[in-house]
Amino acid sequence: MSSAAAADRGHPGPAPFPARPAPPRTLLLGMGNPILCDDRVGHELARRIAEHLGAAPGLEVEPECTVGGLNLLDLAEGFDRLIVVDSIKTRGGRPGDWYSFDGTALRDTMNLSNVHDANFATAMELGRRLGMHLPGDRDIHIFAAEVSENLTFGERLSPPLEDALPAVCREMLVEIESLLAQTASGAADP
Amino acid sequence: MSRKICIDPITRLEGHGKIEIFLDDQGAVEDCFFQIPELRGFERFVVGRPIEELPRLVTRICGVCPASHHMASAKAVDGCFGGEVAPLAVKLRRMYYNAHYIHSHIAHFYALAAPDFVLGPDADPAIRNVLGVVAKVGLEIGGAVIASRSKAQEIQRIIGGRSTQDIWCIPGGVAKGLKPEELKEIRPMVADLLEFTQFSLQLFRDVVLANPTYLDLIANGPYTLDVHNMGLVDSNDAPDFYDGQVRVVDFEGKELHRYEAKDYAEYVAEHVEPWTYLKFPYLKQRGWKGFKEGIDTSIYCATPLARLNVAERMATPKAQEAFEEMFATIGGHPSRLLLAQHWARLVEMVQNAETLQLYCDDPEITGDAYRVIPQHVTGEGIGIVEAMRGTLTHHYTCDANAICTSANLIVGTTNNNAPIQMVTKKVAGTLIRPGVEPDQGILNMIEMAFRAFDPCYSCATHSLPGEMPLRVRVHRGGEVTHEFRRGC
Repeated sequence: MSSAAAADRGHPGPAPFPARPAPPRTLLLGMGNPILCDDRVGHELARRIAEHLGAAPGLEVEPECTVGGLNLLDLAEGFDRLIVVDSIKTRGGRPGDWYSFDGTALRDTMNLSNVHDANFATAMELGRRLGMHLPGDRDIHIFAAEVSENLTFGERLSPPLEDALPAVCREMLVEIESLLAQTASGAADP
Repeated sequence: MSRKICIDPITRLEGHGKIEIFLDDQGAVEDCFFQIPELRGFERFVVGRPIEELPRLVTRICGVCPASHHMASAKAVDGCFGGEVAPLAVKLRRMYYNAHYIHSHIAHFYALAAPDFVLGPDADPAIRNVLGVVAKVGLEIGGAVIASRSKAQEIQRIIGGRSTQDIWCIPGGVAKGLKPEELKEIRPMVADLLEFTQFSLQLFRDVVLANPTYLDLIANGPYTLDVHNMGLVDSNDAPDFYDGQVRVVDFEGKELHRYEAKDYAEYVAEHVEPWTYLKFPYLKQRGWKGFKEGIDTSIYCATPLARLNVAERMATPKAQEAFEEMFATIGGHPSRLLLAQHWARLVEMVQNAETLQLYCDDPEITGDAYRVIPQHVTGEGIGIVEAMRGTLTHHYTCDANAICTSANLIVGTTNNNAPIQMVTKKVAGTLIRPGVEPDQGILNMIEMAFRAFDPCYSCATHSLPGEMPLRVRVHRGGEVTHEFRRGC
């Protein structure tokens, strides 16, 4: 008997199951330049990670993002959580190294740091102040793979990075799966 | 003992670069070098590919101005197939490009230029950004900026099917036309954008022109160069962003050259310096004469201001009014006041918005003859457009099977490499004097010199850490005596 039918007969019927909260809308973004050698690693990783994740609830994937600055607002608006996979080049870093941090780590870069446009952190903060629905800094998760060659045009990763990629992908996936199992913090950024 | 100041930016979108300023024993600027590692191997990368693939590939060169590369490349590829393009496709390409110009100029003006003028060149770097601008001018204006930018982006998407990573231009035309219902969607956005250009001009009047300090900085500061000007003009010598003849005038207004795109190699050559990967284009027929200002120099600017300097008029009425107001205010046409670039961008925005409106009213714009099928391969094509930050040239050759055999690009910012070097040194030399230690305000005013050019060096190198930390180090006798950091 349906609860509606039970109610029609004067019975309260079974208590409805508590509504399960909708999973946070999460955008997985692969960033980079697909024709600039290792700069494409964010795309490669995002694609592979998305394949492993399959149809995770609330997850949408944009594996090939090539824009920055204010254009990111168009992509990120409406999401509760953002997972960015990108490349990084640090002094002394080696392919196979990777790093993860959240959006609060980018706050120090809100100065005029992009020669043409607002940088990532500034664009996000601007959008929030203007009332756009954007993830808070603590719900922006950045995964960055160390690269060695990103100044030469080419559609293939450099051999050292190609070799390291499966392990990097595997390790990032563990952390991203763990993230997706959590709800978004939803907390206002201090 | 000489000492060295190093401004060492590490960027996300624009590649890596640094400014090194060498001081003499007295602490005066002896020399100044702006160094950028250039991306390598594009010419080799494209050889062997089908030539019609290039307009799609080149949009990946640069994350900042992909549409400019798409257009220049499409024109070069048209040339490789004989050069015939459907007239309707030319109109649609122009329309798309008008929207792209507005989109890009909004980002530069509000995110980069406005902080210096709304908050002041020596404001705390922590607030000297678009957030600081919004905090000062109000959320409503900030919202209008974002909304207008989005509308310009949306117009591109509607016309070209995408707003980034364009795949729309094909040999002889475009891959899709504009449907009547799409035009209906675009019309109100165009009207809003035209209104926004007028709003932006008024904001410039209220905030910049009404402030004597800023006016003085523009008119009497060190931000001037006596070099020549380059830009595309139409048959009436008004700015043309998509096509036309390249016109070069000196800083007194005398025409030096006027040529068709196909003849560019007779007029422009590139000089190489041992201390940088960057090349320095110059006027070939004058020969390389060094980083020197003056009527005999072979160095030119290709910027928004340069485009208005080579133009005798604007193509549309409201833009013409803005053009006349600007040059009347800054002391005549042409102008050497580099900070007037920001104003010039606003004037260009007006012409682009008015032109967009004209295309919306064109009864043919929703037609279906938007492609001519190429019949033969002629083997060579040169496409020149005005990228937002300078004259952009793509030159390709291909074999009888339309396989690319060579490519040469002179990108917008490259035209301005020499002027950027020169003005950076000039501003540094004016501001850093014996007894004056560089501080954040001085550093920002040096940055303002090259930022006025809206330089883009990357063409999309964009590894994290995602900031452009500026490090200033003062060296004396091999030791660092001062160090300033920003964002690092």
